Amino acid sequence: MMRKWIALVVILALLAALPLSGLPQAWVLYVLLFFVYLAMANMWNLLCGYSGLISLCQPAFVGIAGYTMVLLVWIGVPFHAAIGAGGIVAGAFAVLISIPVFRLRGIYFAIGTLVVPEALRILFLLWRPVGGKLAGGGAGYMLRGMKGVTVVHYYWIAWVVGIGSLFLMRFILRSKLGLGLAAIRDNDRSAASSGLNVFRLKLYSFVIAAFVTGIAGAVFYLYQGYIEPGGAFSIQWTMIPILATVIGGISTEAGPIIGTVVVVFLDFLLARYAGFSMLIQGAILVGIMLLAPQGFVEIARQIGARWSRPLTTGAQTSK
Amino acid sequence: MAPETLVDLANTVIMGLLLGGLYALIALGLSLVFGVMKMINVAHGDLVLFGTYFAYGVMTYLGIDPVVSLIAGVPLMFFLGFAIQRYLMSRAFGRSMEAPLLIAFGISLMLQNLQQILWTPMSKGLTTSYALDSFEAGGIHVPLAYLLDFAAAVVVMLLLGQFLSRTYLGKAITGAAQDRTAAQLMGINTRRIFAFAFGISMVTAAFAGVFLGLTFPFTPQSGISFLIIAFGVVIVGGLGSMVGTFLGGMLLGVAQTLGGYFLGPTSQMLVVYFLVLVVLAVRPQGLFGR
Repeated sequence: MMRKWIALVVILALLAALPLSGLPQAWVLYVLLFFVYLAMANMWNLLCGYSGLISLCQPAFVGIAGYTMVLLVWIGVPFHAAIGAGGIVAGAFAVLISIPVFRLRGIYFAIGTLVVPEALRILFLLWRPVGGKLAGGGAGYMLRGMKGVTVVHYYWIAWVVGIGSLFLMRFILRSKLGLGLAAIRDNDRSAASSGLNVFRLKLYSFVIAAFVTGIAGAVFYLYQGYIEPGGAFSIQWTMIPILATVIGGISTEAGPIIGTVVVVFLDFLLARYAGFSMLIQGAILVGIMLLAPQGFVEIARQIGARWSRPLTTGAQTSK
Repeated sequence: MAPETLVDLANTVIMGLLLGGLYALIALGLSLVFGVMKMINVAHGDLVLFGTYFAYGVMTYLGIDPVVSLIAGVPLMFFLGFAIQRYLMSRAFGRSMEAPLLIAFGISLMLQNLQQILWTPMSKGLTTSYALDSFEAGGIHVPLAYLLDFAAAVVVMLLLGQFLSRTYLGKAITGAAQDRTAAQLMGINTRRIFAFAFGISMVTAAFAGVFLGLTFPFTPQSGISFLIIAFGVVIVGGLGSMVGTFLGGMLLGVAQTLGGYFLGPTSQMLVVYFLVLVVLAVRPQGLFGR
């Protein structure tokens, strides 16, 4: 037990010290992206894997928080506070949209949530909250007043968010909320009849996910340095967490970690073929869903089980 | 109100009603797949757009009229739909709620990217000689494309209705939609029936795609907005009712043109999305649903 904790602390410390090791900056940025995506994937896993909410409105949280952060920095708020404010606004927005979308269940919920980022994208293409009109119209902003803040600093913020989301998941799943969600997932009627407020528990997990996804989105826009509606409310913010969770293994705690490593590695491999990346990622999503719907974690577990089994039974299960 | 304003307003409403025909046509396939398989096909918008781009390709390279290109487009889309259901979706059925949805999402991403590679991200249109024609009656201007949309929607809906109620295959599809187990007990191969239903949904998508292209410019990213429109039509009209789908289409069409009239053309889609969210909040079973 002790040894496990020491190993964990060493890994976390090594990851935190990574940008000081003289590694090329491009590599550091990929690890930064890993933390951002990890937080988003963990939250999508919380929604889909543990709460039964197939949310397709993650871009809304990313975009809302990104805009809040950039605009607050624009008017002179310190950026640490602006990131937190972005998360809070995204959480508040989740409460607001829960009024229409929580009337829907299952697949309807998925499509209902899909409407939200599209509507926001059009809204931000028309409306520019601060500053004069742009030549092309719409709300594009550069992040101002960030002189003297280095990439290393951004990296550490991303580290805190990514690692924080892992501990948060662990905490939630062992808390009353997590146990309630598990009961709902297994049988929502018996959970409701034993006194669980199904609606409220799902709402809690929706708002928590919006808050953390928003924080991660704000960190991403801190690193990117500019924001525009097309990117902020892009479907990629739904695709990345889905891909990471599904590849790694949905409803498992380790799944999003493994999946996010794969997704970031794909990002790196496909950087040169950016025009084809969605085609390849879509094909991977379909392939995984058909061939290994439980993801890498389940594959690893099966391989592990086969190795540890006596040879005779192992031979029976292998075809 | 000045008489000119009234005529303008009447014109806007008529345009909306005609546009509603197109929206109902786009939603028809989504509604069919939902009714039969209880699955919302999130790739529907991109599949409709695939039909549009096919007609665009045939028009650009072979010089064939988009409506005539349906002779090839309809069977192509039918087999595409049949294959998607038979080889991809059917394996995910019954596994979990999210599996078919995620597969459809993957298909949607692939189609979007494919169309971008083949046709560039630039906006295109099916600009035929008649697409921009319009005629006038009593001060009311109606573009020919809108009238064609409406006519096509009525024809396709009537044909589909007749097909579902008169042919053996249509009855089998209706039966499988009503009670899957009972249909299986009557000797209906529901796996095959589902593949046919998806194929037929894609036939309506092929028609929707061509008339969509005649009416609006499109980009590889347009699929999602047409998915939302189709979903909105189905939500507003209530699921499983063809009359409801038709009325839902009209309502969304009028909401869009009136939104464009009062708030300017750039915010017209916002009005539609807002209407969908309001209907979801107030009456999630649809305005015409029970």
